[in-house]
Amino acid sequence: MASKDLVLESATDRNDRFERDALVFMDQLYAAALRYTKNPEDARDLVQDTYLKAFNSFHQFEEGTNLRAWLYRVLTTTFINTYRKDQRRPQLASGELEDWQLAEAQSHTSDLGKSAEVEALENLPDSDIKRALQEIPEEFRIAVYLADVEGFSYKEIADIVEVPAGTVMSRLHRGRKLLREKLADYAKELGYSTQDKKGKGEKS
Amino acid sequence: MSFIEEIPCFEVLSSVVFIIEGAIDEAHNPQAIASHLDTCLACRSEVEHEQAMHSLLQDVLRRTCDEKAPVDLQQSIHEALLRQATGVGITEVVTQFSMTEISIEIDEFGNVEHSEIQIEQTHIQHIIEEDK
Repeated sequence: MASKDLVLESATDRNDRFERDALVFMDQLYAAALRYTKNPEDARDLVQDTYLKAFNSFHQFEEGTNLRAWLYRVLTTTFINTYRKDQRRPQLASGELEDWQLAEAQSHTSDLGKSAEVEALENLPDSDIKRALQEIPEEFRIAVYLADVEGFSYKEIADIVEVPAGTVMSRLHRGRKLLREKLADYAKELGYSTQDKKGKGEKS
Repeated sequence: MSFIEEIPCFEVLSSVVFIIEGAIDEAHNPQAIASHLDTCLACRSEVEHEQAMHSLLQDVLRRTCDEKAPVDLQQSIHEALLRQATGVGITEVVTQFSMTEISIEIDEFGNVEHSEIQIEQTHIQHIIEEDK
């Protein structure tokens, strides 16, 4: 669409175009807002604020570019700037970028450990999955959610969250690891063991 | 033939996130990782496990995080957008200030000089009324 057409677009037309194109993402944004805010009332307000803000800068949005990614960006920055202002913003540990690659002792997992981990994850109820996601720190939760639920690439996430791509990579790595640790803990409570030496069902 | 550096297992394992993201080129040493994976069975099996766990975790997360927005949210957004667009609920307060300074000077020859300076200022303030 030529920029001339946009200038000639009436306010009502723009409103209609916005609602037509943007409101289809409402359920997705709401589910994301639930993960961000952790409660339905705030999630609802956050989604509504997101749409109002997005509409106000809709004239800056270029048609043909990724509207969904843009809405997630508005959602995420609105959450960070508004809904969290009373909480202390988590400070990034210095060297968040690279440290994890070296500091973590990486070793191979035994085959038994692998199959136990898969089995535990397959058997956990949805409520435990949500609980684990809620319990990991916000910056990891947002990165993992955007990547693994919404399917954004790490570069798109860098743009949405406004941090360097390397930071996103590190958050994905650590966030998924934390999430899996939580899930392994819950699985253990339910009687599944992800330990190498004990098989499933070996309750004493 | 180019030289490919040999790297230890932990370097390969710490780059698994790049492999999962399909961004192995962004890892520190992509050729060395690829060549290590060609020969190290343990690492290859670890990478396969990580990929399987990742896709399983994705399935589980997607199945779980599929809440629908409350039924009235769309209507509520629609109304909020309209209210914003039409300016209902917005009070406009216009403060206008204007001053005219007139000066007349008569010099010794009886010539009259007359000047007029006008200062004007308009200030518009929007007050958005809360519904509550």
